[in-house]
Amino acid sequence: MTDTTASAAHSDAAHAHDHHDADHKPGFFARWFMSTNHKDIGTLYLLFAVFAGIIGGAISGLMRLELAEPGIQYLEAWSGQQGDAALHLWNVLITAHGLIMVFFMVMPAVIGGFGNWFVPIMIGAPDMAFPRMNNVSFWLTVSAFILLLGSTFVSGGIGNGAGTGWTVYAPLSTSGSPGPAVDLAILSLHLAGASSILGAVNFITTIFNMRAPGMTLHKMPLFVWSVLVTAFLLLLSLPVLAAAITMLLTDRNFGTTFYDPSGGGDPVLYQHLFWFFGHPEVYIMILPAFGIVSQIVSTFSRKPVFGYLGMAYAMVAIGVVGFVVWAHHMFTTGMSVNVKMYFTAATMVIAVPTGVKIFSWIATMWSGSISFKAPMVWALGFIFMFTVGGVTGVVLANGGVDDIMHDTYYVVAHFHYVLSLGAVFGLFAGTYYWFPKMTGRMYNEFLGHLHFWVFFVGVNVLFFPMHFLGLQGMPRRYPDYPDAQAYWNHVATNGYYIMAIGVGIFLINMIWSMLAGKKAPDNPWGEGANTLEWTLSSPPPFHQFETLPKID
Amino acid sequence: MAGGKTHDYHILPPSIWPLAGSMAALMLAIGGVMWMHSHPFGSTTFFAGAAGLLLVFYSWWADVVKEAHAGDHTPVVQLHLRYGMILFIASEVMFFLGWFWAFFDFSLFPQPLEIVDGAVTNLIGQSGSAALSVFPPKGVEVIDPFAFPLLNTLILLCSGTTVTWAHHALLHGDREGLKKGLWCTILLGALFSSIQAYEYIHAEIPFKGLNYGAAFYMATGFHGFHVLVGTIFLIVCLVRTYKGHFTPKQHFGFEAAAWYWHFVDVVWLFLFATIYVWGSWGAAAHG
Amino acid sequence: MKKIKTLLMAMTLAGMPGLALAQEQAAVASAPVAQAAAMAAPVAATVAPAADAAAPAAEAVKAEKPAAPAPLAPSELGLPHEAAIGLQEVVTDVGQNGRWMHNAVLFPLIAGICLFVLALLLWVMFRYRAAANPNPSKNSHNTLIEVIWTLVPILILVAVAVPSIRLLARQFDPPKADLTIKVIGHQWFWSYQYPDNGDFEVVSNMLKEKDQVEAGQQFRTDADGPRLLAADERMVVPAGKVVKLIVTADDVIHSFAVPAFWTKMDAIPGRLNETWFKVDRPGVYFGQCSELCGVRHGFMPIAVEVRPEAEFNQWVLSKGGKLAGAEAVAPAAAPAEPAPAAPAAATKG
Ligand code: HEA
Ligand code: HEA
Ligand code: CUA
Ligand SMILES: [Cu+2]
Repeated sequence: MTDTTASAAHSDAAHAHDHHDADHKPGFFARWFMSTNHKDIGTLYLLFAVFAGIIGGAISGLMRLELAEPGIQYLEAWSGQQGDAALHLWNVLITAHGLIMVFFMVMPAVIGGFGNWFVPIMIGAPDMAFPRMNNVSFWLTVSAFILLLGSTFVSGGIGNGAGTGWTVYAPLSTSGSPGPAVDLAILSLHLAGASSILGAVNFITTIFNMRAPGMTLHKMPLFVWSVLVTAFLLLLSLPVLAAAITMLLTDRNFGTTFYDPSGGGDPVLYQHLFWFFGHPEVYIMILPAFGIVSQIVSTFSRKPVFGYLGMAYAMVAIGVVGFVVWAHHMFTTGMSVNVKMYFTAATMVIAVPTGVKIFSWIATMWSGSISFKAPMVWALGFIFMFTVGGVTGVVLANGGVDDIMHDTYYVVAHFHYVLSLGAVFGLFAGTYYWFPKMTGRMYNEFLGHLHFWVFFVGVNVLFFPMHFLGLQGMPRRYPDYPDAQAYWNHVATNGYYIMAIGVGIFLINMIWSMLAGKKAPDNPWGEGANTLEWTLSSPPPFHQFETLPKID
Repeated sequence: MAGGKTHDYHILPPSIWPLAGSMAALMLAIGGVMWMHSHPFGSTTFFAGAAGLLLVFYSWWADVVKEAHAGDHTPVVQLHLRYGMILFIASEVMFFLGWFWAFFDFSLFPQPLEIVDGAVTNLIGQSGSAALSVFPPKGVEVIDPFAFPLLNTLILLCSGTTVTWAHHALLHGDREGLKKGLWCTILLGALFSSIQAYEYIHAEIPFKGLNYGAAFYMATGFHGFHVLVGTIFLIVCLVRTYKGHFTPKQHFGFEAAAWYWHFVDVVWLFLFATIYVWGSWGAAAHG
Repeated sequence: MKKIKTLLMAMTLAGMPGLALAQEQAAVASAPVAQAAAMAAPVAATVAPAADAAAPAAEAVKAEKPAAPAPLAPSELGLPHEAAIGLQEVVTDVGQNGRWMHNAVLFPLIAGICLFVLALLLWVMFRYRAAANPNPSKNSHNTLIEVIWTLVPILILVAVAVPSIRLLARQFDPPKADLTIKVIGHQWFWSYQYPDNGDFEVVSNMLKEKDQVEAGQQFRTDADGPRLLAADERMVVPAGKVVKLIVTADDVIHSFAVPAFWTKMDAIPGRLNETWFKVDRPGVYFGQCSELCGVRHGFMPIAVEVRPEAEFNQWVLSKGGKLAGAEAVAPAAAPAEPAPAAPAAATKG
């Protein structure tokens, strides 16, 4: 984007400072445990996300192992128990997997990690608006994660751990799950929510208030736009979740009947409140990935983003419409025909701004000069795989068709295409794109490509057959299935093994490159990379922009 | 700290409060769960966490005040604080939306509840039950909205004007007016809370086992909690006034407290109109 | 007071989703009324007189209960198939419509969109790779194309919405019910009550494998159906009749789903959800609980047996039920077993 091109003059200015005051780093403990530096906090978030991703990914490996063959193979051995208590482990695994991937892998990585690292730099700011509050956001995530992991060691009713599904539907999560595990999981969500609300306040304030002179809203890089919209979604949706799960807590422990019909309560109320948060939540996970992909596509096509304003306002539109479609997750709860019609129509509307994004990315590449570096390959993979996941969403949006799909593996396939192939591809794309900037070293290009191909093949073999299983009627959250569904389940598990090799390659690449990678230049990507982070050294000084850059 | 900086933003030194605060929150949560499950050390852990959290709040904001006096709060930083407070209040609004949602779910689509001697039964699906589908549920003795609640409405409205009085006094350098306005606001807030406490103690509405009670107590209770927080916030402002803090030009701490107070006031108006007046319509009031 | 309430309601729920929600809830709220009426009518017609007669004749009748017709063996219908990739066959009209909606409208559409996007991607990757196009253009705007790629999806979606909404309308437009069955989800089994037939209840549990049961207990055979799908007692319905289901639960949420009927309805404690189906083709059709309900969520299958009316009647009598509106046939059939503990179950939380 010519709009956001930083002039050469200020990039010199930034460099001039590197070597003086800007690089006085505090000692180890103060630097990493008491940080008020957006880049260090971003690094903490990224490391945390990798850690959580490995745990969440390992749990899904256990799940795929159990599902590889019909019958219960491993649950009894893993839980050390028989019968129902062993089956409970299944529900604990899926619950932990869903919550970890959503709240402790994707969100910390894209918002806490990349958002923290690059939003201030991209708008030409020296740090976030509330640097100290930034750190409490991070540490609250850690506390929340400890609570969630801790919940698996205490009773959740029949066995240990919370087995409610990541949606924590009442009354299964209230009268259906005695024992402290679900309370711990609920409070984990409270803390994670508080963390994200504070983060959202911080990002919105930073973006509205700390843009460098000349950086108007309409000149902001699209990644910043994506985080801005995401922050608003967080700010407005998470408090509703907080209220919903507080009601769970009082129903569980203090005898209220919000969700208990014997006292006039309503289990479906919980679903409304949850999805009023939950649907915006899925866009919270994907919008930053949209932003990352926009930066990358423009950089490696050596062209400004096509239809910049359309791109920015498409995200705004997705955010706004995303607030009024929640009940498409509830088509089978017995809604009336008019409600179903409304939510069908409203949901399908979101395909329009999303289509604008897909086509604008392609138009950005059109008549560009494309180089296929690892980040670009991941971004291209993202565009296609997200489209596949998005269009199955449009199938589900049809209330009359969702009657057959709801709570089957078709839904599981849909959301893994937009998450494990959408959001996660965006994550890997961003990681490769900014790795040189963050670490000062180049990653290994060959391993980056190898990672892509192995992972790409793996996840497709893993998740595509789930469409077939879903169409054949295999319900979600089942540890066992009729023998006729063995074939595709087996294929899916094989896909997991391939994918896991891909993650291994990624980790090797990261560790090896961090230790022994080539030194990275300030801008390894050439003239296409024209956002402000590329004007700084790699890695950037501890405090960048001691003199604010001017944008023309 | 960084001597080379030529901008007005506030670059902060490292701070232990974030880590300490989230560890205290963790302790509070674990203690809370232990307590709810009758673990012997539950309440101890809970209160230790709560105390830690309060300590962190205190120390953290003490740092903020110190930084303000050190001149770190340049105009742009003050603007940050404004944004921050407004956004925080926006999130609070959404939190209350959740409780109102529950209330409207129960009141607009009531279930056939039969209440005999305080025991609640849901008769859904049984013939003749439709007649029982009213809200508030038959047999609940509601609070008469035009007695104490109306008084409380007036008290809060009044306190909204006194806090504005204090603000104007502050703007005009009238320290005495500022103190008086704050005193009045705090006393009115305390009066409100006392009346609420009295109402709760004497209410005949069951908290357990009934949707009406759950929605009523949790919505008004969370509001009450916010009133307490707001009152404490104002008390802090009053103490700071006596210490000579705040100038006509720079007094965001005071403004934040005032905004918060107005927010609490507006929430009450909604509670009063919907839960107290409309939501108790047609039911027997507790005398 | 009504007026003020309505006014406030309109104010607070202003905006489309709010209003929509209101309608939904209103519909739900009225469900009990409709249900009560539905149940009252046949009960009044048949049960009341029969109940009087039942008491003296009770012992005599017990012995006379006819044998149940032999269970139907599973066919190719109503089951998942090995390595299959598409929707199961469906046997209801609504299901045909829904299956058409997916197979003929949505699937070709999404496949087309994916291939279109893929083709564009491959083309730009090939044509505009750095080696083939070393000098990028700098164009970043083209209003016409932007309008096109906004409008075309809108038109496509409108075109999809028409049959989609029609499908919805059809699902919600049941013909007059010939038979009402109350379906209750429990942790972890289903029970089916037949209020039109003397309100007897069938309790349906999953059949375990031979090696999982103790000697003498019933285990699954292939005539019952596949592993995890077979149930000891099936829901039996007459062929060619409109069957109305009232779906609820007595502990946590379950979901009653039979793919071959295109039916899935959540069983929610405290709610009475209604759905319906009409199947002409006799056979046994399987489904599974489709809402996470605890540890044995995966082990509470649904088996629905559609039989010609005469056989259905025989089955009803074998369960101690009565034939609706037919005083002549077995007027003395008393609801001997199992005890209809059902209404309580439905109302409990
Ligand atoms: C990143 C996360 C993410 C994203 C982006 C989406 C995007 C969408 N989702 Fe998805 N969804 C989830 C995550 C996500 N979803 C999750 C986690 C669940 C399950 C939750 C649970 O129950 O546990 C779920 C479930 C879910 C359901 C409920 C299914 C059920 O439980 O029965 C529905 C139903 O409407 C739905 C619809 C959609 C739609 C219409 C979109 C749209 O936004 C997609 C828009 C994109 C495109 C359409 C592709 C690109 C567009 C074009 C190329 C233009 C041309 C296209 C057309 C004209 C159609 N989703
Ligand atoms: C972001 C979300 C996300 C991601 C990435 C995944 C990834 C995977 N998921 Fe999952 N999944 C969910 C969200 C996600 N899932 C949710 C919400 C549910 C529903 C739960 C419920 O029903 O309640 C679910 C349910 C679910 C099921 C259904 C369970 C059931 O219904 O019974 C299955 C079954 O196979 C499954 C499998 C997998 C597998 C094999 C992967 C693999 O792709 C995993 C491989 C691992 C990775 C791809 C992570 C690698 C990343 C890193 C190592 C970090 C990198 C970090 C940086 C670069 C900073 N998942
Ligand atoms: Cu019953 Cu799932
Ligand atoms: Cu959604």
